[in-house]
Amino acid sequence: MTTQPVGLSIDLAPQQVMRAIDGQYDMAVWRSTSGVVSAWENRCPHRGMRLSYGFVRGESLACAYHGWHYSCEGYCHYIPAHPELTPPKTVRPVLYSVVEQSGLIWVNTEQDAMPVALPDDLQPVRSLVIECDLATAVQALDTRQPHGGVESLSDTPKIITFETGGISQGAVVAIQQSQPNRLIVHMLVQSAVTAKDKIALSRLIESVRRQAESACNEAT
Amino acid sequence: MSFTLHNYVLSGNCYKIRLMASLLNVTYESIAVDFHPGQEHKSEPLLQLNPAGTLPVLTTTDGTVLTETQAMLVWLAQQHDPSNSWWPVHSKPQITRVVQWLGFASRLTATVGELRLHSMLNKPVNVTAVKTGAKVVLRELESHLTEQRINNLQWLTGDTPTVADIACFPYTALSPDAGIEHDDYPAIRRWLHRLRSLPGFITMPGIYELHELRKPDGYTVSDATL
Ligand SMILES: N[C@H](CCC(=O)N[C@@H](CS)C(=O)NCC(=O)O)C(=O)O
Ligand code: FES
Repeated sequence: MTTQPVGLSIDLAPQQVMRAIDGQYDMAVWRSTSGVVSAWENRCPHRGMRLSYGFVRGESLACAYHGWHYSCEGYCHYIPAHPELTPPKTVRPVLYSVVEQSGLIWVNTEQDAMPVALPDDLQPVRSLVIECDLATAVQALDTRQPHGGVESLSDTPKIITFETGGISQGAVVAIQQSQPNRLIVHMLVQSAVTAKDKIALSRLIESVRRQAESACNEAT
Repeated sequence: MSFTLHNYVLSGNCYKIRLMASLLNVTYESIAVDFHPGQEHKSEPLLQLNPAGTLPVLTTTDGTVLTETQAMLVWLAQQHDPSNSWWPVHSKPQITRVVQWLGFASRLTATVGELRLHSMLNKPVNVTAVKTGAKVVLRELESHLTEQRINNLQWLTGDTPTVADIACFPYTALSPDAGIEHDDYPAIRRWLHRLRSLPGFITMPGIYELHELRKPDGYTVSDATL
């Protein structure tokens, strides 16, 4: 099992919960008020409600259904309908290993998360979903390269450096293969670039998406 | 009472007006219309008021009848926002952008709104067309809010909210009712959260208050049993 980039750190503010899907794994990824990120199986141990519908209270995630509170370590410590009860330690969702590095949130569902080493000094541009297969998306990125094909920093997960016309600094594109035809593309760029350049990159990746998705639709 | 609103609780367009009035602290008379299943908006008395047979309808005390939500928002802000920030008359470039996003709001109604009426009330629609349209519109909004974030701007047209944010809010927030979750739209998620944090924010079915702003024991779930 590889370590997957599931989102940009800036897209998960304190007290926010998001859902991330990686193959057969469905996760709730959340950030506590003090900033600690956790990635859990998206299933409340009580009645199975998706924890990604839950809400953050301080350093706990509370389930949206009956409000059971889980600490960052996953232990249930408060049940609103029985406030006097100390729940057993066994009431705990499955916890995944999560690390923040290079502006990305990395998760490994089976072993310790080991992020791919990326260039220093990266800043986020955006994450966006592309509904197509990996090969088609990489091909579409390839056609935008002024000097031949994209250069891979990693194959699983697919991470490439991306030369950009007019912008001196290269961008990094980390592709999370969420599902066979559903990629989440995280784009970062060296911090020296201006807001205008970041916007140009954001539009470029949208244009790549249009190309990749229409190539995919034609194929089916 | 500054106006009368022909209103329906589940309507995202009616909610825009209720929300704007609440944010501006304006009271009004609400007349509940039996939109579903009664089809009262298509009855003769309501067609006399609004031949288009749509809700909401806003009638001012001097008898002006407004049937377009976006016009109602502008009217409310002109009448009741002494700061001139919700309808930013002092900035020509910003007001142009506001009008652009008021137009965009109609596209949200025509796609996400229609899909939602189909899911909730079985309204016959071209499902493939509105689904594709909804995705196009939400992706446009996501990209715009991403660019705003890159420019350090928090709202649709600048660094303060305007009637454009209110016009675009309901159907974006209600997209899960239409089967479109917000998972793919991080910039939209942040903007929705910010809007729900505004003082005077009110809810409608499908759009709830932020849990972190609730009192610790304020659980309102119906099935809070073990
Ligand atoms: N007049 C337009 C449209 C409002 C609209 O579509 N309202 C819906 C309810 S949310 C409606 O009345 N639909 C009934 C119909 O179109 O027949 C506006 O105010 O933006
Ligand atoms: S299902 Fe989560 S608290 Fe009941």
